[in-house]
Amino acid sequence: MNSKALTRAAAVTIALIAIATIGSELSATFKQLLSSIGGHHWIGKSVLSVVFFSLLYLVFSKVSDHRFALRDTGLLIGTVIISGLAILIFYVLHA
Amino acid sequence: MVNPLIFIHAICAELGLFAFLWVLVEMLNPTETRIARAQMAAVIGFAFLFFAWLVGGFYYVEIYGLHVKPLIKASDAKWVHSIVMEVKEHVFLFLPILATLTAALLYKYDGELLENRDARISIVLIAGLIFLLGFSIAGMGALISSGYRLALMAGMT
Repeated sequence: MNSKALTRAAAVTIALIAIATIGSELSATFKQLLSSIGGHHWIGKSVLSVVFFSLLYLVFSKVSDHRFALRDTGLLIGTVIISGLAILIFYVLHA
Repeated sequence: MVNPLIFIHAICAELGLFAFLWVLVEMLNPTETRIARAQMAAVIGFAFLFFAWLVGGFYYVEIYGLHVKPLIKASDAKWVHSIVMEVKEHVFLFLPILATLTAALLYKYDGELLENRDARISIVLIAGLIFLLGFSIAGMGALISSGYRLALMAGMT
């Protein structure tokens, strides 16, 4: 298993969840597309998060070396904080 | 009456979060035995969070959206849905990914965690993040329940 690739896949997937969340509120077409995956936009995002996490791991494991460093974890934690805050701020502003 | 699915969702999620707190504690000063316990705790934590995801998702789509959300949105506390629930349901999706990563790192590095400082600190940080993020989400769940009670007390049916 490539730890660096898995950490990067986690970071990018979390950022994509935030982008999909905000995007689905701004575009009715995109929300409908997500709903078409599992009958509800939240199910669509859930399914896509698993699919993207798996696919991104496969992609990153081809291009990342195996030297896992604390910097990779820092990047992940930063992504979680920024993505969480982006979702919170978006809904506060659009409530 | 509180829907039993909410109770199952909350209990499973909280057990999952405490499992990751357990991982964090074991990894502060690891030995081979503590690493083995941390691996077991991470698998248990992942399983509980995954089950909480399924149960919470079923409740959210099949019950909350049809019966609870309309009452909250019609009440003075409509922000409980439009901010708190929206944030909760989406930020929750981060947790299974972080839980998978933590368990995978524990099994990948195994005994090497005694020497590999970066991997050990990474596991401590991610497990701590799961615990803090998860309990923020649990707090949001309590707010949503309060919003629903407020709507019911205001006579909305």
